[in-house]
Amino acid sequence: MNTVAMKVFNLPDLGEGLPDAEIVRWLVKEGDTVALDQPMVEMETAKAVVEVPSPYKGVITKLCGAEGDVIDVGAVLVEFDGDGSSASIDASEASTPTESDQQTIPATQPQTASVSQPQMITVTGDVFKLPDLGEGLPDAEIVRWLVAEGDVLALDQPMVEMETAKAVVEVPSPFAAKVAKLHGQAGDVIEVGALLVSFGDSEAVETKTASVEQETPVENKPVDAATVVGAVQVGNKVVVESASAVIKALAKKLKVDLSQVSGSGIDGAIIQADVKQAKKDGKLIGTKTAASVAPPINSQPSSDENPLDFKASPAVRAHAHRLNVALSQCAASGKKGSITKSDVDAAASSSSPTTAPKPVSVASGGLPSVQVSVEPQTVRGVRRAMAMGMAKAHATVVPTTLVEDADITNWPKQDSLARYVRALVFASKIEPALNCWFDGEKYERLIHPNVHVGIAIDSPDGLYVPVIHDADRKDATQVRARVQDLRQKIESKGLKQEDQQGATITLSNFGSIAGRYGSPVVSPPQVAILGTGRFRSELKLTNKGIENRKMLPLSLTFDHRACTGGEAARFLAAIIEDLQKAV
Amino acid sequence: MAAITLIEAVNMAISHEMGVDKEVVVFGEDVGINGGVFRATDGLQEKYGEERVIDTPLAEAMIAGVAIGMAAQGMKPIAEIQFMGFIFPAADHIISHCARMRNRTRGRLTLPMVIRAPFGGGIHAPENHSESTEAIFAHIPGLKVVIPSNPSRAYGLMLAAIRDPDPVIFLEPKRVYRIEKHEIEDNGEDYPLGMCFVDREGTDITLVSWGAMLHETKQAAEKLADMGISAEVIDVATVSPLDIDTILESVEKTGRICIVQEAPKAGALGSEIAAEVAEKSLMSLLAPIGRVSGYDIVIPYYRLEKQYMPKVEYIIDEVKRLVEYK
Repeated sequence: MNTVAMKVFNLPDLGEGLPDAEIVRWLVKEGDTVALDQPMVEMETAKAVVEVPSPYKGVITKLCGAEGDVIDVGAVLVEFDGDGSSASIDASEASTPTESDQQTIPATQPQTASVSQPQMITVTGDVFKLPDLGEGLPDAEIVRWLVAEGDVLALDQPMVEMETAKAVVEVPSPFAAKVAKLHGQAGDVIEVGALLVSFGDSEAVETKTASVEQETPVENKPVDAATVVGAVQVGNKVVVESASAVIKALAKKLKVDLSQVSGSGIDGAIIQADVKQAKKDGKLIGTKTAASVAPPINSQPSSDENPLDFKASPAVRAHAHRLNVALSQCAASGKKGSITKSDVDAAASSSSPTTAPKPVSVASGGLPSVQVSVEPQTVRGVRRAMAMGMAKAHATVVPTTLVEDADITNWPKQDSLARYVRALVFASKIEPALNCWFDGEKYERLIHPNVHVGIAIDSPDGLYVPVIHDADRKDATQVRARVQDLRQKIESKGLKQEDQQGATITLSNFGSIAGRYGSPVVSPPQVAILGTGRFRSELKLTNKGIENRKMLPLSLTFDHRACTGGEAARFLAAIIEDLQKAV
Repeated sequence: MAAITLIEAVNMAISHEMGVDKEVVVFGEDVGINGGVFRATDGLQEKYGEERVIDTPLAEAMIAGVAIGMAAQGMKPIAEIQFMGFIFPAADHIISHCARMRNRTRGRLTLPMVIRAPFGGGIHAPENHSESTEAIFAHIPGLKVVIPSNPSRAYGLMLAAIRDPDPVIFLEPKRVYRIEKHEIEDNGEDYPLGMCFVDREGTDITLVSWGAMLHETKQAAEKLADMGISAEVIDVATVSPLDIDTILESVEKTGRICIVQEAPKAGALGSEIAAEVAEKSLMSLLAPIGRVSGYDIVIPYYRLEKQYMPKVEYIIDEVKRLVEYK
């Protein structure tokens, strides 16, 4: 692509669109015979040192420049022995690019063609020449045309994908016009400045290679070619800066109270200088006189509840949502006035659902109609599990309940629950048939050597029956520790699946609340459950006379499919025997 | 007053400060004769001479080291790293010395220097030209990390960065270098560093972003408004030190937050913002903290790059999820 006249070598563009290069070192002398492609000179551009090879085979007659000289691209560098005439060409023409195109890339930046090669093209209509797509690279390859000849393009519509050594770039149309001709096919390498697309109808006669000729004084520096790596999106839309955002940020940084600042900008707008002045004047946040302070916002909860009026963690919000409790109905006992889970629980137990259910009018005979609120709750989680478990028990188990009292007058002050567990263990050793699992379909029973006692625990969520595993190997302290542990897990919703599995017999201590006898429900595959009622004092006729005794009511339900009445009665007797021991 | 692009605003700010402060010098690869690969320093060498606008060899470690030396002796260097992907040879100087000098000398020496670097993807660039690694420097105490999102902020924040007594990493979102123009008066008025800018006020959700992604974020806010969702938009601008108070105030007002960033998700700045919100504004959250991010992969080349970049629709989808969250 060098402008090479016969036997004259002009400095070519060394590959970067730079306007000149410096001679570092001559590798040949005048009079030397050089071969084709033999290195003649080392030239340094702003980017690199490049060896320049000879385009001819022949004898060098003149080296045009000394080491250290800066040579313009296009200027004569070497003359060769030719037909006797050391013809030199008009280097100045090539050295100063004068051709400038305005409609190059949509940067609407002034854009010069590459300095390497003036292209003399005359076409009808508007033309588009390949602009410098990046870092002054000399050419680019057509990857794919995105338009066809005859297409009518919109301004900025992508026309072609071009690949440079650095990137693939979509080249947009600089005109809203019809494509007359595409100059090149996919795979062709197009030099910067070469014709890429012609626009216009065939009848167009106007010749317009460039809309605006630009005077570009090219000295040591190329005109801004908007060189970039890659394709930076370009827009000419003028956007207004959000000045108030800047003013507020500055006021915040300087702790200036903007409501005390008067603006000196256009239309009284506050400008940065006003804020800085206010800082000097001490118009800081919190310095307003009491009279001018706005009254506090009414803290009355509105009927149209804004959730952000209340501080609560997401978990508490979810909990309130589940229990259908409005946060406005909750106390805020937590840190910094936040609502805690217990606040929600308290509100849930003390009030009816507060997210107003639809009122339903019920007319009842001659009485005036009343407004009642009806909204069924879906039963979920533990409560649903209870419902399903009980239904299954009712459908399969054949329950029989025995009741009797144990005399616990001699008990020291102690935790009764541990005693009940001990009694179950004791009875299971005497009569193992009740510490058993029963499969009613296969008619199999499994008598357990160990005793895993399920403990029925009531909670707001429903009934839990966690298990004291290996109760036969635990002493009272360990049992108490395990029960404590289970209660905490229920409280914190940390009860695991394994905490609730494997019970071989169950204890229901309903007497801690109320109830003398009951008919507790056996949970299959277990075959027995012991209910302990509320103690009572009773006058008993003993051989010492009438005595005041402390009695513990017991209710033992067993599955009569799996156990005989005798087994159950012996079991209950064993329980009583153990319970009636003093220690 | 001219309507100029972000890159021209960078140029205007540097030129302004060079005009009023003789200590300000500019150097880096191709910044002088060439005027910078993106034209950030175009015309500066002609205006202020080769002694103040200096072309360096291709040696980032040297560029950072020279800047530190100049700044330690009272000059105000503005060093350009041509692309942020090439900042890592300089990272030892920046992290081990630049960030620590004030601390090391107990305040005797501060480094009033700026390191500029274009960063971010979306321009079809080759390898190591498209990353968003702002979190690496935001993690380093002693550095300020500033990212302008529009021409006015580039001008105001660049002036503030040059005038700041401590080192500022000034990251320029190159995808939006020329995407829009602002009318800017070259009056030398800087913008506050260390502050977020609340660009749009809203009541339903807080959208937090910085740099180029602010453009997608604002477009999303527009479209959300059409859907009846009122989004507040915050331009973080100074990503370190983070003005978390402005973000928390907004979250406590809206109850929801979605962070939009171009960087990969893991260990990014969005993670830090999310953690701060969870720590300090938990009681106001009505929904999980949302993030729209790049992916945890090397940002792809041209053909797949578009797949990587967070899009307006992603932001809208995430906001809808958060607003509808029960």
